[in-house]
Amino acid sequence: MPYWPLSGQVTLGLRWQQHGEYSQHPEYQNFYRWCDEAYEEMDSTLVVQQYIQQTIRLDHNNIDTILNAPETQDEGVWKYEHLRQFCMELNGLAVRLQGECQPSTCTQMTATEQWIFLCAAHKTPKECPAIDYTRHTLDGAACLLNSNKYFPSRVSIKESSVAKLGSVCRRVYRIFSHAYFHHRQIFDEFETETTLCRRFTVFVTKYNLMSRDNLIVPILEDESAGHGESEA
Amino acid sequence: METNGEGRRSAPKLREIFTRQRQDSDASMTDCPDIEFNYDDADLPENEVTELYSYTEGPEYQLNLKAWEEVCGELGVVPLWQSASDVSHRALIIRLADHLELSSRTHRMRAARAILYIVQGCWGEVQSDREQGMWARRNVFLLVQCGVWASFLQLLHLEIDSPSNVGNSEGQRKLAVSASLADSADLRVILSVMYTIVETLRVPCDEDNEAQTQTRLCFCEELGQPQGEDGELVAMTLLGMVTKFCNSSAPHFPIRKVLLLLWKVLLSSLGGTQQLAIMKNEYRQKHGLQPCEEDTLAVARTMRASSPPASAADLIEQQNNQKRRPFRRQGLMKQSSLDDSVGELDLTAAADDDDQPTNDIDEPPDLPQPPSPRPGTPVANHTTNKGLPWTPKVRQKDIDSFLDNTRIKFVGFQLQGDRTSLAGLPQPIHEGVKVLSKHVYVSLSEKQIRQEEEMTKNPLSHPEIEVPQTPAEILYQAMLPTLPQCMIALLKILLAAAPTSKAKTDSINIMADVLPEEMPMTVVQSMKLGVDVNRHKEVLVKAVSATLLLLLKHFRLNHVYQFEFMSQHLVFANCIPLILKFFNQNIMAYVQAKNWIPLLDFPACVIGDPPEMTAEALEAGTAGLGSGNTSPGGSTCSPGGGITGDGGGIINQGTVTCCWRNMFSCTNLLRILNKLCKWKHSRIMMLVVFKSAPILKRTLKVKHAMMQLYVLKLLKMQTKYLGRQWRKTNMKTMSAIYQKVRHRLNDDWAYGNDPDARPWDFQAEECALRACVDRFNSRRYNSSIDPEFEPLDNCVTSVLGRPVELTEEFKKHYEVWLQQEVFSASIDWDQLLVPNI
Repeated sequence: MPYWPLSGQVTLGLRWQQHGEYSQHPEYQNFYRWCDEAYEEMDSTLVVQQYIQQTIRLDHNNIDTILNAPETQDEGVWKYEHLRQFCMELNGLAVRLQGECQPSTCTQMTATEQWIFLCAAHKTPKECPAIDYTRHTLDGAACLLNSNKYFPSRVSIKESSVAKLGSVCRRVYRIFSHAYFHHRQIFDEFETETTLCRRFTVFVTKYNLMSRDNLIVPILEDESAGHGESEA
Repeated sequence: METNGEGRRSAPKLREIFTRQRQDSDASMTDCPDIEFNYDDADLPENEVTELYSYTEGPEYQLNLKAWEEVCGELGVVPLWQSASDVSHRALIIRLADHLELSSRTHRMRAARAILYIVQGCWGEVQSDREQGMWARRNVFLLVQCGVWASFLQLLHLEIDSPSNVGNSEGQRKLAVSASLADSADLRVILSVMYTIVETLRVPCDEDNEAQTQTRLCFCEELGQPQGEDGELVAMTLLGMVTKFCNSSAPHFPIRKVLLLLWKVLLSSLGGTQQLAIMKNEYRQKHGLQPCEEDTLAVARTMRASSPPASAADLIEQQNNQKRRPFRRQGLMKQSSLDDSVGELDLTAAADDDDQPTNDIDEPPDLPQPPSPRPGTPVANHTTNKGLPWTPKVRQKDIDSFLDNTRIKFVGFQLQGDRTSLAGLPQPIHEGVKVLSKHVYVSLSEKQIRQEEEMTKNPLSHPEIEVPQTPAEILYQAMLPTLPQCMIALLKILLAAAPTSKAKTDSINIMADVLPEEMPMTVVQSMKLGVDVNRHKEVLVKAVSATLLLLLKHFRLNHVYQFEFMSQHLVFANCIPLILKFFNQNIMAYVQAKNWIPLLDFPACVIGDPPEMTAEALEAGTAGLGSGNTSPGGSTCSPGGGITGDGGGIINQGTVTCCWRNMFSCTNLLRILNKLCKWKHSRIMMLVVFKSAPILKRTLKVKHAMMQLYVLKLLKMQTKYLGRQWRKTNMKTMSAIYQKVRHRLNDDWAYGNDPDARPWDFQAEECALRACVDRFNSRRYNSSIDPEFEPLDNCVTSVLGRPVELTEEFKKHYEVWLQQEVFSASIDWDQLLVPNI
């Protein structure tokens, strides 16, 4: 079970993922244990995030419920908050990968052997080792999603900023595919705990953020092939 | 210089053709028809896109199509764009965008080419250029909405940093002259995509829907903001490319596309004429000034062109004049060659003036002209609006000096700073003052200068005000450290592209992105290349002149010292003689040049059957006749003006069409010159010293009201230095000035009794300006506060409570010190009580 702070102002960095420090803290037992509330009753400034995290906490396997936006919800904000959540949780995968995915062994960001990707988190894109690609991309995503320029508000988001989410999704997805094709065990463990990759896949298909052909991790096909079909 | 040399070998034939054309055009304009030209921020968007591609790039269109088909094949998509749905368009674009991040260059560039094909409107499937334009626009919106712009910006950074892919192995760096079209293939693809996106989104279109308008506005706004991973302005990236190109560390950069993109990025992010006018009034109101109603361009559009004054008698007179007046050139030349990099320029300009001062004058078509081909001055009779086109203006300074003079005359002494009391002055003077003060115009610059003075004088009570982060301000801050280099680089390109310049500057080779690797074999091919080379140069001049003018205008509005900083660097880099040299050519021929081949223009060249290049087709092209559905190049249509549907050369009722881009460049350059010289005696003297008068007078032959207006302005400011003889022989020009240029009341422009006229201390003037500019820059952007003005801590407890480090030595010999310095020194404390020490 992953943990994440309630406040969205906390950086999406890796730090909070180090369980040890948190779990030993006396307050830890109460941390992230708010009582379930109905969406309409939530009155914090970060309702959407709270709501998403609550549905995930209830059952992370219930992807449809998690991705199903409340009726009045602005779609741009919904997509933004979800992507934010994905990036936060992906840090968990990154932490696990750190142990195994070494710059010396995985020298390039690849999924299938066919394509090697450049790391776009630099002024001039570079060929970074897979683990650096992961770190840089998550860091870059955190910077973008927290940027005051593009996302000054979490209540309404400019259309032009929403357009930036697509490329973040494409870059972030490569972390999943790398883990799947090169560190299968870690991937499987992580996936059973969080169902993150499947949720991500459904998410990007549902909102047309990525093309179905780009989703190379065979995660939907094995049981519910028609899952995202109707939405796409 | 091999490549260039070969290019020139084929030139004689071409030159023959051109001289024939020129003579034709000259012969036909003995009666001086009006030029039909409508000045605007840019040409029609379709023409602007056409000018992006050189004709030698022709074969590459097919490569784009091929890349598109290949990628589609690989992705398992049918390579048909039009029949696919919007969803599948988006899906495909996203997949292509994914490929843009591949590490394999071939695959990455193949995707980029495929996207270029999409940006070009998937021309393989269209029937007409109208349809192509429609699809191109649609696709651009789609691409921007899918975030492709950011990917291309990254690709651009990648290509800038990566060494030229071709010829990298043999020898370290390619020489400037040996760079060719192939070296820049990848960069050209990227820049073409970016340019088409910017150019498409720059202008609104009636058919845009709400979302598209939103996308467009957002895009333009973001262009003025730092972008990318390191937050660099796109304009700065491009300016960096220009400087790199000019210091020959990257001779393979396709400079034409870089400059065009730079210009359009600036135009979209800073805003064109309209936005400038709006902003100007906004700023004026903020400073408590009346909004300015007059729109220079609008007024100039309603004016009629004067008939050119040039006559043989005049010209001979002028030449005599020139010989008679050696003037203080030596002194000024020393001053003007402050910058070495373009230092050769002033010498050549001066030399040209000496050797063949007006080499075009001797051309046959000019001589047979009768002194006054028409009875009277037609313009005077034809003015539709009664009175003067402009409201006269007066500066407060002028009123002050007027009052000072009259007081001295009638009262016998001056009243410093008193602008109102008229005691002891006769009635007519009262009236005069009333008229003058009715026309006082306070410019924004004056306000800004005064504000600066206040802030310098009172640094404590007038602290730095918060500077609004307008696009121009952001750009200036980013440009500040490299502005001198940028100006030099732009002027270097202007110099190299000027039609009068000889190909001697082998440090930069502006032809790298137009010369093919294999030199032409046939006559038709070399004709085509000749046209292409000339067109290329024209486009470069157009882009540079438009960029400079745009920057000057925006900086001027944003803060006058930003403008002065830029203009001073332009002057130091010899911009004034350079522009004059540019106009020292057969300007009529330049303005009417027909360097385009409609058959080869994009998109005509890719729609339908591939064009057969024959001499006839070329002829048809150079004659300005479009065939079939092709639009007549970038030139015969003017924005705002009617587009000629038949595409034929239009000569109706005494007006002739011209080359839009060349008219545009000329007007821009004249406006730049005006901006640099206005109210600056030192620079006006440069106009005199470089013998601008005959050059400018010849420019008046171009019968276009707006262009003439700017020429007349330039003549007006130097009239008083040109001598009585000049005025006597140029009465026609004088009256044209009187009639067309704004009157400054009390301005003795023609006769030179101006107390301000001190042509001797121009160096001091530039230095004073420089000091002001430097003070402004360091205060506003270096933000190191002078410790003198830091608040002083005078609280006893905090001053005494500050820890003091004593040295070991001191601690050791403390007793000795005490003995010597304190106990043994007698202090007369009583003195403190004595008053008035």
